[in-house]
Amino acid sequence: MKKIAVVYGGSSHHHRTYKTSEFAKYINRLIPIRELETASLEGVDVLLIPSQTHLGLLEKNVEKIYAFANDGGTVVTLGPQGFDWLPSHKWEFRPTNFWWWLEKDPKSGLVLSAPEHDLFTNYLTLSDATWHQHGVYWPPEKCEVLVSTDDGGAVLYIDRVSTKGTWVNTTLDPDFHYGSYFMPATERFLRGFLPWLVEGQL
Amino acid sequence: MKTNFIELNPGAVFAQRGENKAREDFTNVDIYDLPNINLTPYNCLVISGFADQDFLYEHRQIILDFVNARKILIFSGNLVTDWLPGGQLFVPKEIHSYKDYEVSIHTQHPIFEGVLEDDMTYNKGVSGFFARGHHPVPEGAEVLLTLPGDTPITYIDRVSTKGIIFVHVGSDLFGYMTPEINKTTDRIGPQLLKWVHEENATLQEEVTTG
Repeated sequence: MKKIAVVYGGSSHHHRTYKTSEFAKYINRLIPIRELETASLEGVDVLLIPSQTHLGLLEKNVEKIYAFANDGGTVVTLGPQGFDWLPSHKWEFRPTNFWWWLEKDPKSGLVLSAPEHDLFTNYLTLSDATWHQHGVYWPPEKCEVLVSTDDGGAVLYIDRVSTKGTWVNTTLDPDFHYGSYFMPATERFLRGFLPWLVEGQL
Repeated sequence: MKTNFIELNPGAVFAQRGENKAREDFTNVDIYDLPNINLTPYNCLVISGFADQDFLYEHRQIILDFVNARKILIFSGNLVTDWLPGGQLFVPKEIHSYKDYEVSIHTQHPIFEGVLEDDMTYNKGVSGFFARGHHPVPEGAEVLLTLPGDTPITYIDRVSTKGIIFVHVGSDLFGYMTPEINKTTDRIGPQLLKWVHEENATLQEEVTTG
């Protein structure tokens, strides 16, 4: 069982998703972002950086997060990021189409690129990961892309090559929407994604 | 009488703003600088649900002192810690149908003058953007908007402090400032601004004469 620490921002969204909802049980520790700079990460297996994290304080802690990864830790980032700080991620902003599902022959534009992966054989379906995305990543070639857009941009990928640790990066923002009581798919996503982080095969 | 707004920037990417001329009276400060700021020159404090509400709770006395100096506080969001004077924690609404999100004007008020209820409820035919729960209102507060079942989503509280507290359970209503949607909701931002200016003038007058 991996121990997850969440960098906690105290917003109403973080409060619901990570502190008071059914998902709190997957979280071993909440680290207030104000204390991240001085916090010990000993015993933490997975460091989760939520959507809508304070940009200034995140920027101050980038080196610390890289050091954690280079120590063999797993860093999880939920989207969208406010500045470029992930390893070699080549972020491409795309205007969000919130309304694709109202169109004729609706297409989310998402593709399950790794259907054989543990996350999608045991925890999630593509529809659980489908609401909208704010852009795509173009990570290094040896990264494992699990969900992509139909033109190959990464929406959810695992990077084991850029540091000595593991990065699970997604442009999806399930915690923000669930924390806002909006969009049921985000709840299904978290019901699969968080248990996978705890006990699944990364 | 000039109204100086101070807005706590919660640091979240969705809460960052571009240049907005309509906000020229707004001073935007990082939320974590709150204890170090001299609030005397400011008349209206603007806070959103993206804010670190554990931090606000730790510094609730600063906020209470601010409003008690006959000033105005505007909070848009879901209250999850007990930092807001007179405020009660957010209660999510149980949703069975899209109609559960229908917004009603409970009391006619200048902030929502000329704003259609359907324009607040629906965005491209989809409901749920405006409010998804409520805060129980302090006794004596004025309820402006409701969801079905008389559930109050927007209120003005003149009783809990010596100032005025405006609370809305959804997104930042000043965000409706830029008229790009071309709906009657475009009126909300400017009308809220005008209301704050007028209330501030009255409060300041009371300070001078009282």
